[in-house]
Amino acid sequence: MAELLQPDSRMCNYFFLYDGSKVRGEADPTRDGICYFFPEETPLDKQELLCGQLAGVGRCVSELSSSPARTLRLRRNKFAIRMKDDFFWALGCSVDVPTVSVSEFLDQLIDLFCFYNGPVRQSYQLNSQETLAAQWARYLSHLQSGSSELSHIFSCLKTIDSTNVDPLLLLKAALILQACQRCPLVLAGCILFRGRVVSTQMSPGLTMKVMVHESETYTKAQRPNGTSASSSFSGTVSSTTVFLTAPELQDLQSAPVDKGFSSDILKPSSCPTTPQRDGPSKKTRLSRTLSDTPSTESQVSNPSLSKPPQKASLSPRLSDSDVFSPALSHSAANSLNPSPQSLRFLSNGENTVEDEVEESRSRDSTGGRSQIRSEGDGSVFEEDSHLNGGEGEGAFGGVFEFQAVESGNEQPHDDKVVEEDSRVSRGSVSGHKAGKSDPPPLLPPPHRLSDASEENALIPMTLYMHRVKGLVLALLVEPHFMSDATSMEEVYHSSLASLNGLEAHLRTISPGAPGGPGPYTFAHFDCIQSTLTIFQLSLFC
Amino acid sequence: MKCLLIASESAEMLFYWTDLEFQQNIQKQYGASQEEGHGFPAFEDSISTLFAPIIISFSTMVTEADSYTSFTTENNHIYVLHQFDECLYIAVNGDGEEKEEDLRRKIYVMNKMIEVLFGMVTLSGNLLRKELRARDTEQRLRLWKHLQSLLETYSHLRENDQSFLVEAVERLIHPTLCEQCIEFLERRLVQQINSSVERGGEEVLHAFILVHTKLLAFYSSRNASILSTSDLLALIIMAQNMYPSNVDVDDPSPEVQSGDSLSNSTDSIFYTPEPSPTDKDSKKPVRGSTPVFEFVDPDIQMAEDSLSTLEVYPPDPATPHKVFLEVSQKDGLYPMMPHSMYCLKLWPGITLVLLTKFPHSGVAMSVYTFWEAFAKLEKRLNEGQGGSTRGQPMHEVRSKLDKFLKTLALNGIQSSQLQNVWTEFKNRAFSRGGPGFSRDLIPWCKNMKTQLCGIYRQCFLSDSGPDDTPRRLSPGLRERAQTMVQEQLMDWKDFLLVKSKRNITMVSYPLSDFPGLVHFICVDRSSGQMIAPSLSITERTTSELGKGPVAQYIKNKMWSLVSTTRHYLQKGYSTLTLRDGDFYFCYFLWFENETGFKLEAKDIPIMPDDSAPIGMLAQNYYRKLLRYYSKNHPGETVKCYELLTVHLGVIPTEIILQHCRQLASKLWEPSRNPLL
Repeated sequence: MAELLQPDSRMCNYFFLYDGSKVRGEADPTRDGICYFFPEETPLDKQELLCGQLAGVGRCVSELSSSPARTLRLRRNKFAIRMKDDFFWALGCSVDVPTVSVSEFLDQLIDLFCFYNGPVRQSYQLNSQETLAAQWARYLSHLQSGSSELSHIFSCLKTIDSTNVDPLLLLKAALILQACQRCPLVLAGCILFRGRVVSTQMSPGLTMKVMVHESETYTKAQRPNGTSASSSFSGTVSSTTVFLTAPELQDLQSAPVDKGFSSDILKPSSCPTTPQRDGPSKKTRLSRTLSDTPSTESQVSNPSLSKPPQKASLSPRLSDSDVFSPALSHSAANSLNPSPQSLRFLSNGENTVEDEVEESRSRDSTGGRSQIRSEGDGSVFEEDSHLNGGEGEGAFGGVFEFQAVESGNEQPHDDKVVEEDSRVSRGSVSGHKAGKSDPPPLLPPPHRLSDASEENALIPMTLYMHRVKGLVLALLVEPHFMSDATSMEEVYHSSLASLNGLEAHLRTISPGAPGGPGPYTFAHFDCIQSTLTIFQLSLFC
Repeated sequence: MKCLLIASESAEMLFYWTDLEFQQNIQKQYGASQEEGHGFPAFEDSISTLFAPIIISFSTMVTEADSYTSFTTENNHIYVLHQFDECLYIAVNGDGEEKEEDLRRKIYVMNKMIEVLFGMVTLSGNLLRKELRARDTEQRLRLWKHLQSLLETYSHLRENDQSFLVEAVERLIHPTLCEQCIEFLERRLVQQINSSVERGGEEVLHAFILVHTKLLAFYSSRNASILSTSDLLALIIMAQNMYPSNVDVDDPSPEVQSGDSLSNSTDSIFYTPEPSPTDKDSKKPVRGSTPVFEFVDPDIQMAEDSLSTLEVYPPDPATPHKVFLEVSQKDGLYPMMPHSMYCLKLWPGITLVLLTKFPHSGVAMSVYTFWEAFAKLEKRLNEGQGGSTRGQPMHEVRSKLDKFLKTLALNGIQSSQLQNVWTEFKNRAFSRGGPGFSRDLIPWCKNMKTQLCGIYRQCFLSDSGPDDTPRRLSPGLRERAQTMVQEQLMDWKDFLLVKSKRNITMVSYPLSDFPGLVHFICVDRSSGQMIAPSLSITERTTSELGKGPVAQYIKNKMWSLVSTTRHYLQKGYSTLTLRDGDFYFCYFLWFENETGFKLEAKDIPIMPDDSAPIGMLAQNYYRKLLRYYSKNHPGETVKCYELLTVHLGVIPTEIILQHCRQLASKLWEPSRNPLL
């Protein structure tokens, strides 16, 4: 088992893309069809042999079985193959690697390519072979980089070690994402720290794709400019066009994103997913973030996110502040039958979920809901503010007492601010909306149309990235988000302070694994979130 | 959707078998319209056209030192490929009933059957090709049909018979009767045949009685070598193929059936048209006197030969089969030595099998020895260690081979081609000015091997021509043997037929001793024998497991358990326990010394995925395992056992393990199992 954990290892021995349409006639040399071959130093004869033979046999087997061939195993290598149109992909790994893993690896690789470059045929028409070869090489090395064989086998997401991170940080990350989602142009997002997932709203597959860009910009971080950095955001924001498949997009759109809040609070567990909200409530949310920005800018250490809950304890009518709780309480209430999306919100750490369960339970039992609730929330957000204040002593045990004291102090001030905010924002957003006459919050009709017409269609979207040192906020946004300065500013400013705070805390956490390496390995694979937790133990320590 | 085919390197179809579904599928793809009315040959063409690209690509990849082992498709079709010498075997499954392992096993078993049928000829791709793909269509069809039905028989046994599931021989547990029969075979039957003048120069080495697939009694004469489990299993398949027992389908009163099929069998014995059964002294082989072998061109020779081999597979089941079995002598192991197999049906389901030795099987041993010498030389030369010193063993071969050639000539065996090649070889290898033992000699080594296989084929495979003396037991002698055994077993026959279905039952393992035990299989891998309670899944018979469905369920579980344990064994695990629903499965493999003392466990070698299937029929994995284990126990006889159990899931684990130990010791108590 131990050898599986070595940060080995080139899993892939061969990878190639072969374009059969270029080799039609008898006289056409096989090499014309080779679009990309890894390892690139392979002699051309060998390349031709492998491409020609495997493609030929793949086609023959497909014809015989009237179904596409998926794997071709040889004595020394096993190849996962994919055929689409005239393209033929093959990924060769050592025979020790499980066949499913090889197949999954290849699918990931192709998906990655399509995610950043769009349809293969089209991208080969638009770009030179060399440019795209570099892309393939990049994706290949990214997928194989620095993880253990075990994680290769499970093709899992690289996450931060959630056992080593305070659950409140994870919750905070989830809240940042939710806040960003208030902008209707934002589909979903994830937060990454040094190439590892902190929190994500997307499916594991999509998150994995987004991470490639992140790791690339990470290496470029020292350089002045990203792919298309917006000048106004001092080079920390970049964006790139990406292509989603119809199911991916559908998944994102159908997910129970909690764009509303007040109604949820009033009927806590009965209707967990009510994505259809009336206009005003949305505006309210948006406006709040907008109006928050000035204060955030002025006092970074006291981010907007920490404020609202305090207000809740004062005002029984429960306004903006509750935006944080609905999704959480749902997932808690539905924990027996959770929707994937709500799970994803809390992807990082059962602790968070437990906290929430506890919270909601106590809430239910007492009936004096608002008071207790606010206390519970207070604990969460006090912690946040405490963290953001930069007093990161890591004394998490004392959170509750701490919160009790602080919440008392801060409440009056914060509440006032927020009350004011919400009123102001209402007006501002409606004006903004009227002026732009924007598309509906979900997806503009053309996209949906193309979904229906062609199943394999790839829909262009934009990947927005906001980097704060090692921390990255990645959002999948509608293409016109980048031209919508208002929305961009909203999202940027609403998250900036929280991101700073989160980064500061994550930075202090040592990346080391808990406990020294031992002869016993315990691995836990979560197939829904696609995460792998590995413990190494020695029984006699 | 099943298919198995054998192709030569040049994509020539040497044999194929498909089920109806696969055939229809191919025909559909190839355009059913043009197939109408043509039937067989057209189908053969289309199947070979469709597979040709795969076969050619395989050859291309082999030259690049890597070759295909398996393919899968999205709709879960599996293709398994394996090359034996120059023949490529491809097995396909498209109905999900077989896994990759099963297909690989099927390929190995097919190869085993071909080895048993063609012996050393399989060592020369060219000769085997001619054998499998005879020019004469009718003859080819007859052979293919025979191979196809062997394959089907095997598949049926593998799916329904526990002994073929674990690839070990099951014996009828009835010590008294068993002993009586062995005594009878020894004192009366074998003695009488071997002393008869009608035996045509043959000598009975082994005689055994099968009740369906189970062994009642087995006797080997004193000068015979041990019959390997692998060969015995292959012979049982052949016997079953000849006289299929429909144990699973019908279970009528044995009397009715036995009556009419007795007449059937006597029919075939009495009215077999025998080609001039002259019983003169057969010490001098008459073959070679035919002008056929004067032709130098092997192809022409082949054509003529195929005419004569028409006689090899006559429809008459009483004609002996040539089988090539492993013989172990003091001076070594000789695979594929010629024997004749006589399958005499006593009653439906009960068969007497006689294995006889050819009068000149010594030639086969010599041929094999020489063949091996050249194969070793070729290997050395390939590894680049020629050198004059290494040529030393060849000098010995040289004198022996010279002598051997003279003997062949004396016996009238046509060996001029071998003579020519050998002379050329000597000129190159031994003459002073010649190139000596260098890589240049490799093609000549190959040539010598082929020529030796040719001699072997001429002696043992191309059967007697019409004017030849049949070297076989005379029909009268066979008939007498049959009658003798029938008389002996007359009173037992009904009992035996029932006993074979309820060999041992779970009732013999009382609830008080083994509470919760549902089923078990115990295998002695050293002797290749197994014991298991019968699993009756027919509606007629009721076992303790009840009727059909329950027994069928247990049976399915058992089959999948065996495949699981093999998978783990291949990866080096010798113990496996798993809970599945309401059942608890255990598997143990362990070693004992002769006195029954359990030897300590040791790591078992880990095999690659595409290694030969674990079992005893095709390639004896356990023999290798025992050899591997015995290295640490020099001078000690090491035995290997396997035990599979199914318990009810409610039984505590400690009790289960205790049961397994008790069961293992109880099963191999000497009193219960008389030696073969």
